[in-house]
Amino acid sequence: MSAFADHRPASRGLAARALHAARRLRTPRVRLVTIVTVAYFVAIFTILLAPLVVVIGGSFSAPASEKVVMSYVQFPPERWTLEWYGKIPQAQLRALGVSFLLGAAVAAGACLLGVPAAVGLVRGRFAAKPVVSAVMRAPLQIPHVVAGIAFLQLFYAIGDFGGMYVQGTTLGLFIGHLFMATPFVIGSVAAVLQRCNPRLEEAAYVLGASEWRTFRRVTMPLIIPGVFTGALYAFIVSFVDVPVAIFLASPAATTFPVELFNAMEQDFNPSSLASASLAAGFAIVLVFMAQRLLGLDNLLKPRTK
Amino acid sequence: VRTRWGGLLIIPFMISAALLLGSQIVFLRQSFFVDLSFGRQSVDWGLANYARILSDPYYLRTLWLTTYISLAVAAACIGLGFPIAKVLARQRSRWTTFLLTTIVLTSFITTVIQIFGLIIIFRADGPVNSALLALGLIERPFALVGTPGGVIIGLVYASFGFGVMLMYGVVRTIPVTLDEAAAVHGATRLRTLTRVVLPLSLPGLIVGFLTIFNTSMGAFTSAALLGGGRVITLPVLIQRTMLLDVKYGMAGALAALLLLFVVVLNFASVAILRRFRSARLVTV
Repeated sequence: MSAFADHRPASRGLAARALHAARRLRTPRVRLVTIVTVAYFVAIFTILLAPLVVVIGGSFSAPASEKVVMSYVQFPPERWTLEWYGKIPQAQLRALGVSFLLGAAVAAGACLLGVPAAVGLVRGRFAAKPVVSAVMRAPLQIPHVVAGIAFLQLFYAIGDFGGMYVQGTTLGLFIGHLFMATPFVIGSVAAVLQRCNPRLEEAAYVLGASEWRTFRRVTMPLIIPGVFTGALYAFIVSFVDVPVAIFLASPAATTFPVELFNAMEQDFNPSSLASASLAAGFAIVLVFMAQRLLGLDNLLKPRTK
Repeated sequence: VRTRWGGLLIIPFMISAALLLGSQIVFLRQSFFVDLSFGRQSVDWGLANYARILSDPYYLRTLWLTTYISLAVAAACIGLGFPIAKVLARQRSRWTTFLLTTIVLTSFITTVIQIFGLIIIFRADGPVNSALLALGLIERPFALVGTPGGVIIGLVYASFGFGVMLMYGVVRTIPVTLDEAAAVHGATRLRTLTRVVLPLSLPGLIVGFLTIFNTSMGAFTSAALLGGGRVITLPVLIQRTMLLDVKYGMAGALAALLLLFVVVLNFASVAILRRFRSARLVTV
C-alpha cells in the first residue's frame, strides 16, 4: 500500500505513474520496505481487533459443557448458536437501555450547554475570557475516577444538608456524565467556528436580522458538523464510561458498562458476551455512519485538540 | 458592529462553574478530615491523611507502581503507534480512511468489552500462551490477570487508538514538501524520517507521551479488571478506599494527589508545546 503514493511524478498521466510505481516496486529495497510496512500494519491491527473479534465470535459459540466459566468460551466456535442472545439477563438488557437513553440525554444536554458556550467563547469579546475558557474546559483535565468520587461526595453533602438524594439515581449519573462530556462539544464547535468568517454573521445583523435569527440562520448552519461531532463524542463519553458511573450507579440505576464490569467480577456467563456484542455492534455502526456523514477529519478532531 | 455573543456564556458558565466548584470543593474539604469507623469523620481538620500517604510504604509503593506502569504504557503506545500514524498521514491509499475509522472505533468501545476478549485470548491454554510455550519463549503460561504486565497490556489497548489519532494529527501538520525537498537532495527514506519527520514531530510525541501517561495514571477500568485485587494502582485504590473501606477522607486525599499530579503534568505539556510553537517548530 505504501509504494504507490509518494514521489509521484507531477503532471503525468496515469499510465506513466503506474509505470513509475511498478519500476519502484521492482527494486528489492523498496519492495522490502513495503513488505515490512504491510506486515507491521497487519500485525498491529490484528492484535488491536483480536479482543473484539473474540468477544463477538465467542457470543455465537455453543458451550463445550453445561457449566461454563469464562476461560472456556469456545473460540473459534465449534458449533454456532444464538442461544446466548436469548439468555441475556434482564438486568443487562435494562442497563443497555439505560445507557442508551442516558447517552442521548447527555449528548442533548451537552449541546444545550456547549453550543452557546462555544459561540460565546469564540465570538464574544470580554476580559475574563481566559478564565471562563479554563473553567469550562477543566473537566478534560480531571481523571474520571476523581470526578466520580467528587460527585459522589457532592451528592452525599447535598443529601445531608438539603435532603435531596441524587446518588444512585439516573439524574446523578446524568449530572456526572454531563460534566465530563460538555467540553467535547465546546471543543468541536469552537474548532469549526474559528474557521468561519465572523463577517457573515455581522452582515446578517447589519441587514436587519435579529440576533436570534442571525444565530439560527447563519451561525447554526455553519457549525452544525461540529455540533454533531461533539454530540457523538458526548454520547460516547457517557456510553463507555465505567469510573464515574461505578461511584454514582446503584442497583436501581446502572449503566451497561458497569453492569458488565460487575458481571465480570462476579458471575460470568457467556450471555455477557452476547450483550457485549450488541453494544459493540452498535458502536461499530455508529462510527462508520459518523465517518460517512461527518467525514473523517471531523471525527478525529475532538480527541486531537 | 456590536452583537452580544458573550451573553450566551452566562448560563452555561454558571452551570459548569457550579458543577466544577461544587464537586471539587466538597471532596478536597473532606480530605482534610481523618476517618473514624463507619464513614464518620473527625471534627478537627489537618494534613494527617496526606502525611500518612507520603510516609506509609504501602501508599508509596502504590504510587510508584502506578507511575511505572503508566510510563511503560505511554512508551509502548508512542513507540508502536508512531509508525502507524506516520504511514497513515503520509501515504494515501483507499485503505487509509478505513484504517483510521477502525482506530477511532477502538476508543468508542468500552474497555470492559476489550478486556473480556483479552482474558479469553490470554487464558492458560489459549492461542497466545500455546504459541509462546511451543516456541519455548516462556516456561509457564503468562497470567494476564493479577500481574503488572497484564495491566500494562490492558492499558495499552485503552490508549493506543487515542495515541495514533494524536500523532496522525501531528504528522499531518508537517508539510509534505519538506519530505520531498529532502528526497530531492538525495536523502534516503530512512534519513528523511530520522532527520526531517521525527525531529518535527518530537513536540507532538512529547505531548502525546505526557497525555497518555496522564490518562494511564487515572485509568480505572483496565487496572481494576486486570489487577485482580493483586496489582492495585492509584485509581483502583481510590475506588476501594471509597466504596469498600468507606474512608471518605483518605479517598479524597488520594484523589487530590492524583488530581494535583495530573494538572501539573498538563501544565508542563502545555508549556512545552508553547516553547516549540514560539520557536516556530510546530503549527499545531
